[in-house]
Amino acid sequence: MNMKTLWERTIVVLALAAGLPCPPAHAFAQDSSIRRYAVEDVTPAGEKPDEACLALAVSLAFDADRVYVADAEDCAIKIFSKSGRFAATAGRKGQGPGELSFPSGVSVLGGRLFVADKFNRRIQVLDAAGRYLSGFAVPFSPDRIIVLAADRILVTHNPTGRQGSEKRLHVFDRAGRLLQEALPSQPSGDAVYDAFLNMILAAAGPRGEFFIVRRCQERTILRYGGNGELLETIPVDERYVFKPLTLPVQGPRKTIDGFCWDFSFDRDRFYLLAPAYTEEKDLGPGDQISVLDAGGRLEARIDLPVRVGKAAVDGDRIYAVDREGDLRVFRIVR
Amino acid sequence: MKKALLLALAGLILFSSLLFFPASVSARAAACYDDYTVCRARALDMDTTWVKVTIYLTVCDVALGRCLVLGF
Repeated sequence: MNMKTLWERTIVVLALAAGLPCPPAHAFAQDSSIRRYAVEDVTPAGEKPDEACLALAVSLAFDADRVYVADAEDCAIKIFSKSGRFAATAGRKGQGPGELSFPSGVSVLGGRLFVADKFNRRIQVLDAAGRYLSGFAVPFSPDRIIVLAADRILVTHNPTGRQGSEKRLHVFDRAGRLLQEALPSQPSGDAVYDAFLNMILAAAGPRGEFFIVRRCQERTILRYGGNGELLETIPVDERYVFKPLTLPVQGPRKTIDGFCWDFSFDRDRFYLLAPAYTEEKDLGPGDQISVLDAGGRLEARIDLPVRVGKAAVDGDRIYAVDREGDLRVFRIVR
Repeated sequence: MKKALLLALAGLILFSSLLFFPASVSARAAACYDDYTVCRARALDMDTTWVKVTIYLTVCDVALGRCLVLGF
């Protein structure tokens, strides 16, 4: 047993000692009216260069020709063809122009990569070859980024709670001027618990809109306009169930209701990657994507052959990152 | 005269220490919080199971407390 395995098992034993619940029966509720889609794994076979391996994939974006993955550990954006073949790397570790330190988000518009450069606290715009084009500093550690339009950039942020309630959504123009802030955080005084409550996922919508989903506690999808104004709160179908988990934190037991591990929007459908229980009754990346219509109604479920940490849907293709750090491409068989 | 010089020197040292230490403490706290932000961001972006994330976040909190109190 190597040291990493030993450390992970120690953590699990500690967690179990702290007391974790068994998953409730309703967490596995089935409904025959919900369609089930299979997938075909169309990931290219064969040898891959070392660069193609994703050390810590934290964000995934695509355009008509390419798939872009922000690899926080390698401090780079890994670029793949839409068929899943590795093509190039943009950016490298550092603090200078075009250099990245823990890139936590990537978005693409017109062949330009917009990167949330987390530890350098800035947004950088790179060309497809990784050359620096422009950028601006932000007064927080940026999390995810979505380019809503040529002059509208959404940047999300998970505050520490040190400065009380802070906004989690920030809309900037191309020059880095802050246009709008929204979605205040919920500080309760417990930094660990708050970190979970404040975790959000963002997806670009049509006409410059965007959608926000909280990763736990709330079963709604928030629809925002391109200027950061809340347009609609979409309730999610009750058949899409929470996955509760008691956290091993100090003091009174705190339970979080796991809701979504990753989230994307494509052609008027929401795709929610559900978290799944592990053998140790912990909650981790899942292997099932739920398809919701624009009103939040559960239409179908997509069963993947492996657990994935990141997933984005484009037509009949799912681009996902598996637990081994490989980009996988699945074709949805509807 | 010698006594006055010594008193002035002592006063100067005391005054400079008052100026120096709050700034030093403040700079140290800022560095601690910077490290905390990095630690926390790594924990949240690990994409691992949530109990493990909880434990890593707790380690970040403990490290922050140690940094603020003990300075390392």
